Amino acid sequence: MASYFRALSSEWLKLNGPILWIQIMLSPALSLLQGLFLSSENTVEQMPWHGLVGVMSTSHAVLFLPILTGILSAMVCRYEHAGGGWKQLLVMPVSRGAVYIAKFTMVGIALACIQLLFLGAVLIAGWYHGIETPLPWDMMTTSLLGGWAACLPLAALQLAVSTAWSSFAAPLALNVIFTIPNLLVANSETYGPYYPWAQPILAMLPSGQAGYGAFLVPFETLLFVVLSGFLLFFISGLFYFQRKEI
Amino acid sequence: MIGRALSADFLKNRGKGIWLLAIIAPIGIIAMQAINFGLRYDYMMKIYVADPWGGLIENISFFVPIALFLGSTLVCSLMANVENQLSSWKQLLALPISRTAVFSAKFVMVLLVLSFSCVLLSAGTPVLGYALRMDMSNIPYGDMIRLGFAPLMGVIPVLALQLWLSLTLKNQGIAISFGVTVSVVSMFSPFFPDWVPITWPFLAYHGPGQSLVIAQGLVLGAIITLMGLIHFNRRDVN
Repeated sequence: MASYFRALSSEWLKLNGPILWIQIMLSPALSLLQGLFLSSENTVEQMPWHGLVGVMSTSHAVLFLPILTGILSAMVCRYEHAGGGWKQLLVMPVSRGAVYIAKFTMVGIALACIQLLFLGAVLIAGWYHGIETPLPWDMMTTSLLGGWAACLPLAALQLAVSTAWSSFAAPLALNVIFTIPNLLVANSETYGPYYPWAQPILAMLPSGQAGYGAFLVPFETLLFVVLSGFLLFFISGLFYFQRKEI
Repeated sequence: MIGRALSADFLKNRGKGIWLLAIIAPIGIIAMQAINFGLRYDYMMKIYVADPWGGLIENISFFVPIALFLGSTLVCSLMANVENQLSSWKQLLALPISRTAVFSAKFVMVLLVLSFSCVLLSAGTPVLGYALRMDMSNIPYGDMIRLGFAPLMGVIPVLALQLWLSLTLKNQGIAISFGVTVSVVSMFSPFFPDWVPITWPFLAYHGPGQSLVIAQGLVLGAIITLMGLIHFNRRDVN
């Protein structure tokens, strides 16, 4: 456990910096602009917060969040791929498992920061539109936590691919190829709930918001898909990394 | 000189996934529409009964700009990866070859890869139409060729910027994050005024003023490429 925390703090040192924070702020900033300028007509009368989160999620979670998950996973491996860093890191007295889990934790923390900033963006947009209804915290929590959890299977897959491939952009190409179909798949009632890349948007839209397609799927189904996807990708990634020849 | 640099780039980028990406992207877009039309064939055919080819091409055309934005981002970064990862810019530029040739060869390479993708898209569309039992006697060949190439002309300014960022920044995360932001913003291009370059790939196909938009794309693309070239020529390489 102590070795895990030491690995985590070294990952933090390697990743922390203005570049990371700019990347974390990109998507919330963009959805804030969308919330400020594009949502005025769409905001639902009775449930203004639901409407606002629904509108702002479209730019945030359909493409940006899945792709950012891939970028962050590639970022935590970038330092090691350049110039034989893997060898140097793994001769240290830390287990490979601790290194891998620390890297995954970093991605999880960065994604959590993104979701918190998104919450801030929703609050600012709500204040700008003068919404007076009290904030429905249960909906907000489900949406933000659900979106975060739905990204973890993708993070696990991307981390596995990023450790395996030395090229920075190649894992991202894979991620983008599977993320673009979101624009269609998320509307499909039959296939949307089982497509891992569509999970962030499905989890983030407040239920009962857009009454069509996969957006009506019960939360339990999504939970099952997310959890099994996470276990599959994370365990196989960890297993691969333990045995990988560096 | 550029020709030899180009052939070196072709060699260096073999097996890096660039050509695979160029093949998968158009096939993926067509496969998505095959599923879209195939699953609800009767419904789609009823909507587009007057002009089934037009409907098919329109549905494909919505995905072309974002695919080109993301594609140029990824291809530029994949290509810069060879030199960035092994820190071999010094070695490459120490060779008796001008920096202009190196930069231009990479630009031509990206353009060739994306053009190859567009050709595949134009060739794949009638195949899908045939599979959907559309009337093969009145294929709109002009629209089919424009489908990929008009948006490509509109995407050149962003392509030039991505190439510049990818070739000069050591941390590819920044270059790719920038490209992804541009791509996501481009989904909202109907809300932007026409002079914003992000809207050009869409306008270059759908109009209004297609040929003007294509000309704008080429001119702005040339300006940005020139700026990138001057910076690449002068900067210190480490």
